[in-house]
Amino acid sequence: MLWLYLHFPNLLLDHIRRSQDAIGALAIVDSAGQGVVQACPTARDLGISPGMRLKTALGLAPDINIMRADTNQEAWLLENQARWLYHYAAHITLAPPDGLWAEVSSLQKLYGGLPAIWQTVEQALTERQLTAWVAIGHTPMAARLLAHTGKGECKADKGHILTALGNLPLLAAGFDKKSCTRLQRLGLNTLGEVFALPTAELARRLSPELLVIVQKIQGTRADPKAPWQPPHTFRQRADFIQEVEYSQGLMFSLRRILAELEEDLCWRQQDTDTLLLALQHRHEEPTRLRIRTTGPEHRAEVFQKLIQLKLDKQPLRAPVIGLVLAVKRFTGREAPGGQDLLGENQDLNEAWHTLISRLQARLGEQALKQLAPRDDHRPECAWSASEVQKSSKRQASTSAQLPHRPLWLLKGPRPLPQTPVAWHSGPERISGGWWDGQRVHRDYYIAQLPGGELAWVFRDVHDGWFIHGWFG
Amino acid sequence: MSELLSNLLQDARIWQGHKHRKTNQSAELTGYPALDNQLGGLGWPRGALSECLLDTCGIGELHLVLPLMQRVTAAGKTIFWLNPPHTPYAPALTREGVNLDHLVMVNTRDQGDFLWTMENCLRSPVTGLVLAWPGKLASRDVRRLQLASEAGGNVCVLFRNRRFTEQNSPAALRLELIPGEYQELKVNVLKRRGSWPGQRCSIALEHRANIPPEDSPRVVQGPWPRAGN
Repeated sequence: MLWLYLHFPNLLLDHIRRSQDAIGALAIVDSAGQGVVQACPTARDLGISPGMRLKTALGLAPDINIMRADTNQEAWLLENQARWLYHYAAHITLAPPDGLWAEVSSLQKLYGGLPAIWQTVEQALTERQLTAWVAIGHTPMAARLLAHTGKGECKADKGHILTALGNLPLLAAGFDKKSCTRLQRLGLNTLGEVFALPTAELARRLSPELLVIVQKIQGTRADPKAPWQPPHTFRQRADFIQEVEYSQGLMFSLRRILAELEEDLCWRQQDTDTLLLALQHRHEEPTRLRIRTTGPEHRAEVFQKLIQLKLDKQPLRAPVIGLVLAVKRFTGREAPGGQDLLGENQDLNEAWHTLISRLQARLGEQALKQLAPRDDHRPECAWSASEVQKSSKRQASTSAQLPHRPLWLLKGPRPLPQTPVAWHSGPERISGGWWDGQRVHRDYYIAQLPGGELAWVFRDVHDGWFIHGWFG
Repeated sequence: MSELLSNLLQDARIWQGHKHRKTNQSAELTGYPALDNQLGGLGWPRGALSECLLDTCGIGELHLVLPLMQRVTAAGKTIFWLNPPHTPYAPALTREGVNLDHLVMVNTRDQGDFLWTMENCLRSPVTGLVLAWPGKLASRDVRRLQLASEAGGNVCVLFRNRRFTEQNSPAALRLELIPGEYQELKVNVLKRRGSWPGQRCSIALEHRANIPPEDSPRVVQGPWPRAGN
């Protein structure tokens, strides 16, 4: 077996630098806020290096941007890297806090050799603007140790790998401090010298645990790695080191995230109709936006237009320090069916979805309604309004059975202001609703009012006269 | 005559007062022969605004567009109702043979939203008909809508109050609707493309309330005194 290990030395730094295009020197400090963990090239030019105390760093560059490392965020970022690597390799294992294993021996045939795999991964890393140190080893441990040196080579030869490992200093081998000191007192300085020791002696004189590590590096002891499973949701975030005050500033990173979403959806062969966007503020609850399309969609530009509309409509409450875009609902992608030769149907269908989505994004989902009749004798209950949906089914023609009704129904009965000049039909008694507490007991007439309009009027049980509709 | 000039004459964008000639502007029949005749045998213009000016609801204004609604939904196109003053009653529309799946009600909060929505609906190829109750509209806004309408080539009917009759409007067709004594609808053509206005006709619409044409009140006359009095 061959393992590829990706070591991300600047994971958090890369993430932040991808979210905002123009920022100055940036350093990541540890969770205690004491020492610098990662520094961007600009910061390094100013003389700041990882391991430096924060006070020293601030002395060197007073206006440096500082971000505090967060374990949860790092774990989440690592998982994010696993997601895209999963596009290229099937067997992936996470190595928290900053590494990934991928089993590559089974991929050689697919990609046509190890160099091709290496190149594919390197290219994917460049596309995502990530810094990673890559190495190949015949065991997971070997790959990891080599990657940490930053001098990984694209060679599958076991002898070559062992030689490279043998030259590693003891400190780089990942032994615990006590064993390290004891080995150094024995006069051993490189890993190769430890490999040369007889195993029984090593276990007896030092510790069985040390032997396990050595054997795992060498490959004489099994080191199974459970494969990682990608989650069934999409979640991407961007963190801004400088607060964003205008929605236009969000679009830069949203464009990148949406492009990733499109790629992810294409790869899954799925569509979605709901995006959840959360904008994080420093002192307030996050703003949560729901962007809905009326039909299944996967194109980034469509999502981008809808989000733009939504943001135009709703100005930012407070400066934004981060945003999260999540997709939880996926639908299978439908093969275009029922299309005629000219393909006109499909276009119209799509145009319909685009138009309705646009209207909903600007006006809100409640602003658009579709009507349907309902089985009830009470006029106010005989219809219903629902969210707009595209339905292809033909409506059954029940028109003959429906009673004669006005085209306009008032939102509520309105007192009859004048005496009608003519009475045309009636009374039609409607009585019902005893079963749900909204009792209706009325006699309906069609009457012509002095203004010339035809009204649907009724007299209720208390002898009041009301208008309930217009024959428009 | 130059081609440009003859195009202008053909499109009925120039009035030729002395000549009443058939033009080739595209239109949808209203479904009422009496009205179609008054409109040069054409009907509702496509790709232009039509205005109906009326005092109050319930005089048969929806029945005027009902034949068109039936045709549009049968063709699978969408009808948008923008800011209707009351609820369009679903059972009655179904009874009249309008497919409710193709009806979309839109309610907007302010004038900006209204114009934006209307423009988007007018420009879309899925729209068959837009019915809108805009309330007060500046002449500039009507012009904007007229342009959107030309881009989309749909029929658009604006229902406005009769007090805007005097207001100048770029709409291609303006009809004044007045209720008659016997439930008919009197239509005055205030403006139309390619010809003189001033035509009048009357459309019998008493069937909308299921009233027999002979108009003999067959109702038991009411209201009645309260029982016990």
